[in-house]
Amino acid sequence: MITLKEKFIQLKKENKKAFIAYIPFGFPDIKSFKKIILSLQEVGVDIVEVGLAFSDPIADGPIIQEAYNIALKNNANIEKFFSVIKNLNINIPIVLMSYYNPIFRFGLENFFKKLKEFNIGILIVDLPFDEDKRYLELAKKYNLETVFLITPTTTDYRAKKIIANTSGFVYYVSVTGITGPKRLKFSFLRKHINELRKFTDLPICVGFGIHNKKQVKEINKFSDGVIVGSSIVKFIKENFSKKNFIEKLKEYILNLKG
Amino acid sequence: MKVPDKKGYFGEFGGRFIPETLFICLEELEKAYNLAKKDKNFKKELNYYLKEYASRPTPLYFAKNLSNFLKIKVYIKREDLLHTGAHKINNSLGQALLAKFMNKKRIIAETGAGQHGVSVATVARLFGFKCYVYMGQEDMKRQKMNVFRMKLLGAEVIPVKSGTKTLKDACNEAMRDWVSNVRTTYYLLGSTIGPHPYPVIVRDFQSIIGKEAKRQILEKEKRLPDYLIACVGGGSNSLGLFYPFFEDKNVKFIGVEAAGFGGLSASSLLKGKVGILHGAKSYVLQDRFGQIKNTHSVAAGLDYPGVGPEHSFYKEIKRATYVSINDKEAIEGFKMLSNLEGIIPALEPSHAIYYLKEIAKKDKGSLVILCLSGRGDKDLEIVQRYL
Repeated sequence: MITLKEKFIQLKKENKKAFIAYIPFGFPDIKSFKKIILSLQEVGVDIVEVGLAFSDPIADGPIIQEAYNIALKNNANIEKFFSVIKNLNINIPIVLMSYYNPIFRFGLENFFKKLKEFNIGILIVDLPFDEDKRYLELAKKYNLETVFLITPTTTDYRAKKIIANTSGFVYYVSVTGITGPKRLKFSFLRKHINELRKFTDLPICVGFGIHNKKQVKEINKFSDGVIVGSSIVKFIKENFSKKNFIEKLKEYILNLKG
Repeated sequence: MKVPDKKGYFGEFGGRFIPETLFICLEELEKAYNLAKKDKNFKKELNYYLKEYASRPTPLYFAKNLSNFLKIKVYIKREDLLHTGAHKINNSLGQALLAKFMNKKRIIAETGAGQHGVSVATVARLFGFKCYVYMGQEDMKRQKMNVFRMKLLGAEVIPVKSGTKTLKDACNEAMRDWVSNVRTTYYLLGSTIGPHPYPVIVRDFQSIIGKEAKRQILEKEKRLPDYLIACVGGGSNSLGLFYPFFEDKNVKFIGVEAAGFGGLSASSLLKGKVGILHGAKSYVLQDRFGQIKNTHSVAAGLDYPGVGPEHSFYKEIKRATYVSINDKEAIEGFKMLSNLEGIIPALEPSHAIYYLKEIAKKDKGSLVILCLSGRGDKDLEIVQRYL
């Protein structure tokens, strides 16, 4: 797999914005997950964010909560994730998104070693950048790409510090809230992203709440890309048992990407 | 050692494991709390309401019949006599005044047995806040009267249908609400759990239990007790009793967790592993992949897979001993206190009451203070099924 950094250099050259798709590992089942991630790559998704299920996801809305419950019933754990990824032909970057407890339990160093093996980036929703020193130390040791969230409530002072520990891209959370479809205020977002640009040359992508083509287009006017999660999960949930599901999913993604 | 440290750690436990959105509000909360703590008017107002509204100080009652029966000397700290029927009001009054101090208009809370929810609904009425209480659907079924009480008090009770539909999921949902409404909303957490500074705030507001008990036992017995005993779910009534005795090394602390039944336990300190739940590092009941386990206890207030970080610290430094009592034994404890003293306890402290028998076996004649954290009215329907 190429790194996030390499991907963004490539996108910049082509004067393109990143389309980042989020899917939970093991949803709707492990076999379908493999097909889904490969089809995302096929239709030109630039980066895949894979959610590793946690039983108590406090930053997620009902759509992802439900998907995580299903993934957990399918025994979609860390060990299985690595064994599945190993045998998949994925070239685009992957960012693993999870909560801290499953990773803490697995062992931070073991986990980072595994991530390095596949060049996977990491984003932990409930771990502030300065909460666990070992996290940053080990990420540096294994030369991993670490993504952190910046939200509308993050102060400038803190944003600078978060960015200093970020590699790959800056993940700007569009709303003060949890994941799931929302109405978004573009002018507000534009203002915040432009302010962040003063502190960093890293690409800035916007996630949370984005669920239609128009939002993707508007946000891409001032961001370096978007992350779409819940609405893809919802689409999968509603369509995976139908005929030609994979074809339908590809169409849906192509349409969203614009 | 001063605990917690600046970052909210009790030894290796505690901290702030939270989504970024909440970071700034926890800092605000911490600042406001530190100001309020030193503010004369704040303290005066809190003391006024604790005394006149909640009816503090509560008696430290010498349980003569129970003592004769067990051959130990048992004093009961009567938190069950407080307004709303449990110790929860101590913390709810403190934090509601803090919310007022911070100029917040909307209060949210989680509740298990409903005791915390009722106390929050009560103080919200008193001080004019809008109040939303998250409660697991399962708990709503087993604590119907408390749901009704909250509604009477004008609170909106929001059923939580995710996960196990109990306290842990109510906490998740309250946190999601807080993430979404952080600027207007005060999250009134009910136990010594959650991200820093909650474990400190709740412990401090509950410490009045131990402070009074210490003064009272010295008056009555002219000496400190040999044991303090209390039930531990999240840990607020136990820490409230224990903390003011922390430096009194000869006073032994016993925390009683719920062993549930049939292998499903709620004993985080005895059966859990170190992990992260609801914003803090502590002992957590989890499987080998770090997924939080389902718990069970006959006492809804103990039915929680985590525990306050300060308890994990007390366990680590061996300041407290933790034991567990199962559903059946708790019912025995419930009956014992009702029969001998004419005091009907809640099922949560009934766990601690039963354990008095063990103390009696090991240490005859010892002087014990038990925290009776709540009264049993809310549990009568459940107990009826066991008798």
